[in-house]
Amino acid sequence: MSTAKRLLSGRPTKMRITSRPGEVIDRSKPVRFTWNGREKSAFEGDTIISALAASGERVFSRSFKYHRPRGILTATFHDPGCSVQVGDEPNVRGSHRLVTAGMKVTAQNVWPSLKLDVASANRAAGRFIGAGFYYKTFIKPERLWPTYEKVLQRFAPGGRVSADSPHGSYDKRYAHPDVVVAGGGPAGMAAALGAAEAGARVMLVEEEHSLGGHLRYGSETELAALAELRREVEASGAIEVLVNSAVTGRYDGNWIAILQRNLPHVTERLVKARAKVVVAAPGLIERPYVFEGNDLPGVMLSTAARRLLNLWAVAPGTRAVVLSANEEGDATAADLSDAGVHVAQVVDARRGEQVVRARGAGSLSEVELGDGSKVSCDLLVTAVGWTAPTLLLNVAGDRPVYDERAARFVPGDGLPANVLATGGIVGDGPTAALVEHGRATGRAAAERALARDGTSVTIPSLSPAPHPALYRSRTHGIVDFSEDISSKDLVSAAREGYDSVELLKRYTTATMGPAQGKLETINTVAVLAEATGRSIAETGTTVWRPPHVPVSLGALAGRVLEPVRYSPMQPWHEAHRATPIVAGQWIRPEHYGDPAREVRTVREHVGLIDVTPLGKLDLRGPDVPKLLNFLYVNKWLKLDIGSVRYGLMCGEDGVVLDDGVTGHLGEDHYLMSTTSSGADAVAHWIENWLQTTFPDWQVYMTPMTTAYASINVAGPKSRELMSRVVSDVDLSPEAFAYMQVRRGTICSVPGCVMWRIGFTGELSYELHVPAGYGLYVWESLLAAGEDLSAGVFGLEAQRIMRLEKGHLIVSQDTDGLTQGYGVGLDGLIKLDKEDFAGKQELEWQLERQGYNHLVALLPDDASVVPPEASQIVTGDRSIVGRVTSSRLSPSLGRSICLALVAPQLAETGKSVTVHLPDGTDVRAKVSEELAQFDPGGERLRA
Amino acid sequence: MRRATRAGGAPQRYSAASLFRHGLTHEDWERVWRTVEMRRSYDAVVIGAGVHGLATAYYLASNHGMGNVAVVDKGYVGGGGSGRNTAIIRSNYLTPEGVRFYDRSTRLYENLSATLNFNVMFARRGHLTLAHTDASVRTMRWRAEVNKLEGVESEVIGPDEVKELVPFMDTSTKTRYPILGALYHPPGGIIRHDAVNWGYARAADSLGVEIHQGTEVTGISTDRGRVTGVTTSRGAISAPVVVNCTAGWASLVATMAGVRLPIITHPLQAAVTEPVKMFLHAVVVSGSLHVYVSQTDRGELVFGASTDPYASYSMRGSLEFTEELATHVLELMPSISKMRVLRQWAGLCDITPDFSPIMGVTPVDGFLVDVGWGTYGFKAGPAAGEAMAELVATGKTPESIAAFDLARFEEARLVGERGAAAVGH
Ligand SMILES: Cc1cc2nc3c(=O)[nH]c(=O)nc-3n(C[C@H](O)[C@H](O)[C@H](O)COP(=O)(O)OP(=O)(O)OC[C@H]3O[C@@H](n4cnc5c(N)ncnc54)[C@H](O)[C@@H]3O)c2cc1C
Repeated sequence: MSTAKRLLSGRPTKMRITSRPGEVIDRSKPVRFTWNGREKSAFEGDTIISALAASGERVFSRSFKYHRPRGILTATFHDPGCSVQVGDEPNVRGSHRLVTAGMKVTAQNVWPSLKLDVASANRAAGRFIGAGFYYKTFIKPERLWPTYEKVLQRFAPGGRVSADSPHGSYDKRYAHPDVVVAGGGPAGMAAALGAAEAGARVMLVEEEHSLGGHLRYGSETELAALAELRREVEASGAIEVLVNSAVTGRYDGNWIAILQRNLPHVTERLVKARAKVVVAAPGLIERPYVFEGNDLPGVMLSTAARRLLNLWAVAPGTRAVVLSANEEGDATAADLSDAGVHVAQVVDARRGEQVVRARGAGSLSEVELGDGSKVSCDLLVTAVGWTAPTLLLNVAGDRPVYDERAARFVPGDGLPANVLATGGIVGDGPTAALVEHGRATGRAAAERALARDGTSVTIPSLSPAPHPALYRSRTHGIVDFSEDISSKDLVSAAREGYDSVELLKRYTTATMGPAQGKLETINTVAVLAEATGRSIAETGTTVWRPPHVPVSLGALAGRVLEPVRYSPMQPWHEAHRATPIVAGQWIRPEHYGDPAREVRTVREHVGLIDVTPLGKLDLRGPDVPKLLNFLYVNKWLKLDIGSVRYGLMCGEDGVVLDDGVTGHLGEDHYLMSTTSSGADAVAHWIENWLQTTFPDWQVYMTPMTTAYASINVAGPKSRELMSRVVSDVDLSPEAFAYMQVRRGTICSVPGCVMWRIGFTGELSYELHVPAGYGLYVWESLLAAGEDLSAGVFGLEAQRIMRLEKGHLIVSQDTDGLTQGYGVGLDGLIKLDKEDFAGKQELEWQLERQGYNHLVALLPDDASVVPPEASQIVTGDRSIVGRVTSSRLSPSLGRSICLALVAPQLAETGKSVTVHLPDGTDVRAKVSEELAQFDPGGERLRA
Repeated sequence: MRRATRAGGAPQRYSAASLFRHGLTHEDWERVWRTVEMRRSYDAVVIGAGVHGLATAYYLASNHGMGNVAVVDKGYVGGGGSGRNTAIIRSNYLTPEGVRFYDRSTRLYENLSATLNFNVMFARRGHLTLAHTDASVRTMRWRAEVNKLEGVESEVIGPDEVKELVPFMDTSTKTRYPILGALYHPPGGIIRHDAVNWGYARAADSLGVEIHQGTEVTGISTDRGRVTGVTTSRGAISAPVVVNCTAGWASLVATMAGVRLPIITHPLQAAVTEPVKMFLHAVVVSGSLHVYVSQTDRGELVFGASTDPYASYSMRGSLEFTEELATHVLELMPSISKMRVLRQWAGLCDITPDFSPIMGVTPVDGFLVDVGWGTYGFKAGPAAGEAMAELVATGKTPESIAAFDLARFEEARLVGERGAAAVGH
């Protein structure tokens, strides 16, 4: 029986050959999966593509633009034609992903099917739709572009996502190894061993499913060397091996990102390693050759053929032509023969022999050689040279340089001390030389990582071997397999003026696809050099950028850990059906069902509100008064112990930044409150001044926002309620007056702060109690106030009441341009102070005039509540202000608003036009006072 | 080969017919722009071959007949922010000045393919700015009201309508930052940024403008308060007008003329995923989550965020950026966790105190600026170029850019766009 017949017999695994010494499949463990709905069999250890190839499949996708059939090119993760859909996961690298039982694999990019592909009509039109063609057409009429666009979108490459996919389980891990070795080939394994022997803790990361690199699919001697290295790695207690894991990038400070994919129950894990030293040992990537028909299924790299043969025992074809320019090509020819594949011809590029074109309908059937002869075959293997994947070196600052003799870009000499390289990216040599170089490099890495002097380590030299420069044959072929860009496209674009690497790649999209240039860049550069008559060195290359492999959003995000802040009283709020509102980092009660009733409770009896989110900063030290005097626009040098004061803060641009009260609690001790949303910003603001401008001031600031639970007790009966729970503070109006602060015991909880202020306009006490007692104090207050009709109120009721009182809310009633003057607090600003933040700008503001004013507006129709953000307009519709706050006031039984208006409108009694979002206009009048309720403030001073 | 005499003559037309002819004959296309010797003097020198510099040069030649202009760039055409941005075009800004200005630009973009005879692929996909807090609902309503009064289509919509426009969006109330509504701006969309840059370059070149890549300005010469020219890495050029269109490098270049600009340069990062079949039609922005996302015709998701928090001229991407980005994107669309980030990059943004640009004259006569474009300047290219060209040609500052003058920082007439420009770009 002929080889071909033997190979083709024995379906369904017709290309599976007899056992190979290094094979990674377990023939005792068959696995079933489906491919486009049809059942397929495989063995454990097979990748999706090796299993399909074993069953005789040759086409796995269609190319992006011309919809040409695509088969195996590299048989590695980066195989451009082998991305498939697995269940709801798009763009799975079929040449890398292992088959599992029941897996549902479908082809991507085939419309309507892999075999019958209507879009391949594009191929006939190929000559008209070269790179960048869309820039030149669909120009007119422009209204048709959306239609054209929909057609183009149809051809978008890639798989599908679905709206009901679960988020999945992802994770992160931090690691602090002494040395990370990126790449687990012979040099990388040896480097890990060298580093471990020298005392370092090592993390060895390998992209493939097991260690070994090219030794895995090598000769018997190479397999023996690998077995020895594996034994040593296993025996070492200091090497953590991560397989099926990729170092995706290196960031400042040797911050190494590793995507780990070999964990049970976790789809992917992002390992972030702060490595003292990183050793790059990624080996070499074999590069494709450019000639007509180089993308036909059946044309593949020599490493692909050897991987198929030796790892998965799959015959890549039945009758082969081998184009060889190096030992790898020769070894492939030998392996093919050995496995029973007929090698029809070896084309030796070192002797000037050439492959000119490949032909075939759907897949390869014939190869034309340089001398015009034709050889029929179904497999063409090319071995024309290598690319050094220098990503880790480039991101560390090293620029690749072109080595004419070796015909490849090699590392420059710009590496920092904490990055070393070994193996193929450095140079070529037999296994022993790679291992020796790796071991020495590993030892040097350990010396550096452990901060020893390291002079004892000499690293043997390893340099790239000479290699013929083979990039393109006499014919044109595909350069970028994922983007479907041919050398002809590149030449044409370069002639058109896109003649630098950067412009060329942007115009044609060459190198922009899933492999990000790993297979394509060098040929792009070579073709550009040819087209422009420059050398490859002059043309230069683009630098490699992270991530080395695409990283899932899931892995980057990790577990979902969005923090939420709740006050200690949250269980009570939930039990009492509070409607929650998201307020920055906090979630807090908006109301408990009926805000208007809550307002009445406060105005008539007594109400409690949870104001824990209020920013609270503890300030200590002799220079606090100076700090306050600088931060606020008003004066702070004299504030008696036991008093609080309201203050307004402006930025250096004079724009209102925050407001709140600060109390003088004791000797050199203050408590500042800020708005809820401004707490962090104010803390940063203070820290910034103290560290940069006033480093000699003695001030200690501690954010206390979450250390205290804060409760405001408001209403005419609040003193009565307080007197029932506070024992050690004299609450009489004379002893504890408005704008004073006391420390004392509330509901037997000592160490509480209480101050008398009133955002609601009622007699009220703001209590700050140690957070752990918050819920207890809250419940105790309610219990104590039961016979006083005490109730609770939420944010909404508070907003209504403060609006009735005309109190502004920073960033609602002010905006990014609202400076200090004009918001009803002019009297507060003391320009005669020596200096304070924003002083200069406020002086100018006053001089200049013309700024907007905050006014209270009363709609003529008291039942109309203009939505906030309604604009105030003139007769010709120009904007002269806007409503910033607006509510129906239960206390007044009418609508009331605050508005920022142009100065000419800021006059009592002025009638303005408010333009509502529904398009109608209403009239409103500017009120005399900002406060509509108790403008004299008698209630809160009671 | 190269037709250097073409300047002033009609350029080769791009159309389906010419594409067809070319397909048959395989003749080379005419060069997009010429490579010519740099001369010693021009009527005007524009520094920076980004969209602003190129548009300025194009409108100088096309609207004012001033073709004797050189655009010089230290790198290549579109190598700065103009080739690195996420290409969102919209006009739903916050201030009337801003809305009017960006609206003019959007209208120029609408016809730009035909104007330049280069398909810039402007896709009006609709633009959604999500509101997750009642404060942002208020800001959205504010923007919508200003927009409508200025004649720009813009409205506040609720979560259900958001879901209809973006079926992948989690609009449930169970998320950490529930979506309370969105500002919907139907005319907003995305464009092919490189095409805009190349289209302007090609059209300007055909009108006589010279584009000199790889030419770095190292000094700006002045004489008694007037600009007289520039020195470059390839020799000196004299010119009575020099326009600074260098975005992230603008303050460095202005310093060469002795002009200080209130600009701080921050890196801004972006990333794309591998392509998947179209599922996201609209452009989605979330200010609270510091992220925005759109899907290109090729199927990639393009992500952006807010600027890096520190000042820097470095254009490296960071891991933290992609981590945060992914967290926030999945917060919005949890079902796309299996999509993978393919590439990340950074560009430089010239940020001003009021998040608005600086256009017009400087204390040095003849030295003009069109800078401060921060994170939002790509969409402004056409309108800014048009106005700057008018200023160069007439010596008068057009009304449309008067509010954006440099003097406003001394006279405190800021144009506050922080609320609309920060993450929205
Ligand atoms: C990641 C990212 C996303 C963005 N997203 C958007 C968006 O969605 N929408 C939007 O509208 N905007 C966006 N922007 C902003 C937008 O990209 C910029 O505002 C805009 O491109 C600026 O254009 P420009 O022509 O002024 O400058 P650039 O395009 O930056 O051009 C400046 C040029 O000046 C050159 N130069 C500098 N110094 C010198 C010198 N000394 N001599 C000679 N040449 C010099 C540079 O090489 C560069 O080419 C984004 C920016 C980034 C970085």
